[in-house]
Amino acid sequence: MAAYIGTTEVVEEKKQFIAVKLGSEIYGIDIGYVDNIVRMQKITRVPKSQSYFKGIINIRGEIVPVMSIRLKMSFGEDVFTNATRIIILKIEDQGKIGVIVDEVKEVVNLDVDKIDKPNHDSMDNRHSFINGIGKNGEELISLFDIGAMTGEN
Amino acid sequence: MDVSQYLEIFIDETNEHIQSLSDNIMALESEPDNKDVVNEIFRAAHSLKGMAGTMGFKRMQRMTHDMENVFQEVRNDTIEVNSEMIDLLFECLDAIEGYLEIIKETSDEGTNDNEAIIQQLNSFLDGTANAPASAPAAEAPAGESQAGSETPVSKKFLEETLDEDEKRKLKAAAESGKNVYGMTAYVQKDCLLKAARAFLVFKAVEEFAEILVYKPSQQNIEDEKFENDFSIFFSSEEALDKIVDAAKGVSEIEDVVAERIPVEEIDHAPAAEPETAPSLPAPAAGTQAAASKQPASNAAAPKKQAGKPVTSRTVRVDIEKLDELMNQVSELIIAKNSLVSLSVNSGSGTQNQAYQEQIEYLERITTSLHESVMKVRMVPIESVVNKFPRMIRDLSRNLNKKMELFMTGEETELDRTVVDQIGDPLQHLLRNSADHGLESAEIRQERGKPEVGTILLKAFQEGNNVIIEVSDDGNGIDTESVKRKAIERGLVTPEQAENFSQKEIIDFLFMPSFSMAKKITDISGRGVGLDVVKSNIEALGGDVTVKSVYGEGSTFTVRLPLTLAIIQALMVIIGDEKYAISLSSIVSIEEIPMGDIKYVEAKEVINMRGTVIPIVRLNQLLDIEPPEDEQESLTIVIVSKGEKQLGLVVDDLMGQQEIVIKSLGSFIDNSTKIISGATILGDGEIALILDVNTLM
Repeated sequence: MAAYIGTTEVVEEKKQFIAVKLGSEIYGIDIGYVDNIVRMQKITRVPKSQSYFKGIINIRGEIVPVMSIRLKMSFGEDVFTNATRIIILKIEDQGKIGVIVDEVKEVVNLDVDKIDKPNHDSMDNRHSFINGIGKNGEELISLFDIGAMTGEN
Repeated sequence: MDVSQYLEIFIDETNEHIQSLSDNIMALESEPDNKDVVNEIFRAAHSLKGMAGTMGFKRMQRMTHDMENVFQEVRNDTIEVNSEMIDLLFECLDAIEGYLEIIKETSDEGTNDNEAIIQQLNSFLDGTANAPASAPAAEAPAGESQAGSETPVSKKFLEETLDEDEKRKLKAAAESGKNVYGMTAYVQKDCLLKAARAFLVFKAVEEFAEILVYKPSQQNIEDEKFENDFSIFFSSEEALDKIVDAAKGVSEIEDVVAERIPVEEIDHAPAAEPETAPSLPAPAAGTQAAASKQPASNAAAPKKQAGKPVTSRTVRVDIEKLDELMNQVSELIIAKNSLVSLSVNSGSGTQNQAYQEQIEYLERITTSLHESVMKVRMVPIESVVNKFPRMIRDLSRNLNKKMELFMTGEETELDRTVVDQIGDPLQHLLRNSADHGLESAEIRQERGKPEVGTILLKAFQEGNNVIIEVSDDGNGIDTESVKRKAIERGLVTPEQAENFSQKEIIDFLFMPSFSMAKKITDISGRGVGLDVVKSNIEALGGDVTVKSVYGEGSTFTVRLPLTLAIIQALMVIIGDEKYAISLSSIVSIEEIPMGDIKYVEAKEVINMRGTVIPIVRLNQLLDIEPPEDEQESLTIVIVSKGEKQLGLVVDDLMGQQEIVIKSLGSFIDNSTKIISGATILGDGEIALILDVNTLM
């Protein structure tokens, strides 16, 4: 994605992210992974699965597992409201997976070279799922490392 | 000549020839003087050579040519069959298979000349004086067989014999106002894929006409059981010239003759009895021979059908198309289920009753449609197991043990996807039997067993499952030694091991990298073994069990589902969740008063008509809150696996339903394997499918 800005002819790489809210923080999900966004619906529990999997849902005849990011990142239980959404991600060779977010805010364009590397000094669990910090105006957006987030750990 | 369009036919036919060569070379090994077998091998090698040549696969052609040369000499009794030659012939077969594999992938034969094998082949010939002369001699027999049928182009169909049934068909067509025609097509003498040509001719004719009678029979034509011509009778409203031109348009068809047959002449056509044939004017001596030959081949046809079913020859469909069809049937069944659930919820009344009837009708159709699609996807396991005799022969030599493989039920059918994937596990089990199972000759003698060990592969259908048993009369599993090994490896403490049942001990063999081989051989003992067999079979929705008596032998039983996608299931409710249990594993459903629940070793059991059956509370197993109110009785679904039975306590029954199995995907950890998949119910809700086999 290239955009010309003014007449300076400097090509800036832009990348689109879906900005979502989890608790009080804003997170970004690379739009390239997003297949669909659906409202919260009945999730069928799968016994004996990982605790952060809420279960499976039916997306137009397809079975899609749904994961709680909150539980995976040890944020505590999800609180379902009218704004809660399930974002269906499509992962190559592994199929679809849904992740629960508190709210979907907007689609943001971020300059690739303005994305900072996350600070890995602290061994805090949640940082291992973040692979960049973007800035949208004054707001900071933590960008999810989709591979790490959906993978085993 | 562009041959790419024949590649698939070539691959299929080459596979058949390789299999026939393999079978016959095995037969030759046991009876080296059997001339029929030698001729059969010669013929197969010759056909292979011809086909490879046409397709431009020069290396393959050269290999088969040299094989053919050797057989020419065997036929002439100038060289004798010995075990060295048999070994070499098998190497040749492997090389040809190698070419074929490469051809399958790249449409080209690759660059391996297999020079060493060819030299060895030729060294057999060098032993004989007339080696150089053998090549032209090899060509002769092929020409010979064709010489007999050399007749001028004639209306052969006029001499064809028709039985009563065929006459009736023709008459019916004629009486309905259509013109009935007879046609004979002549295929070029050097044509290699005659059946394919015939098929194309039929296709061309069917554009305009309906083919009523095939001479020789359609099956025989497909099996290439005809000389250089074949005849058909058809009815059409189109001009005859057009149809003849269409048929002539097929390449490698030399000539086509056809003529209208008036209705009154149908009765005068030669009758099926051979006695009547000579009474008709015979225009040429050659055709008379052909006519008298006809009843013979007709008689042969039903005989063949009575034997093994003709496999995967008639229609060739891309497996992907079948998968797609199956998916669509699955979608249809889901849609039907939602109509059913709508109808249950809607009110009563006459209109509703009519609606119900239609729903039932739709249900019957979808069920039979599913069955039909399933049947189309079924193939005999023959294609997988017919490689095994050769494998056992090689193993017998490598291991220096005498053994024999007996197989039954090769015609048992399974879903194509399953058949494609059972080859490796079965091969492993056979190797296991040959290597670990069968004892050395000395030990067998000591135990008073016959010198030649027996391995048995038995396949059969049982309900909705196909069972494949691999058994041997060898050593059996030495449970004491397995136990020692498990203790040695720290898997159990000696105290624990003491209380283990035989089954529990045998289960160790299925654990990853638990190899019992004392020394690592080529064949097995590298620790990638039974655990892989087990996981491969479980991935197909099946399971594997072992029975063994030390000193007498062991039996591995592989149980596979007939179909992967759609099953009949009992829907049950536990708490507020819905689960499906495959109907094929359910024995009965019982309502048991609480007072009848007994305890054995602190575990709940019930006594059903004299058998003590352990019960499992599914709500505990699946972490579901138990019902609050005291129950007076329990609803128990009795399920079975082989001889074992188990009672599953459920809260309520929803009824029987046809369900489409969907995978849970790779994200969710399902290592307990209690849940084998999910299904979408009529109202869009999801129910999980319980795999009761894992509970027993």
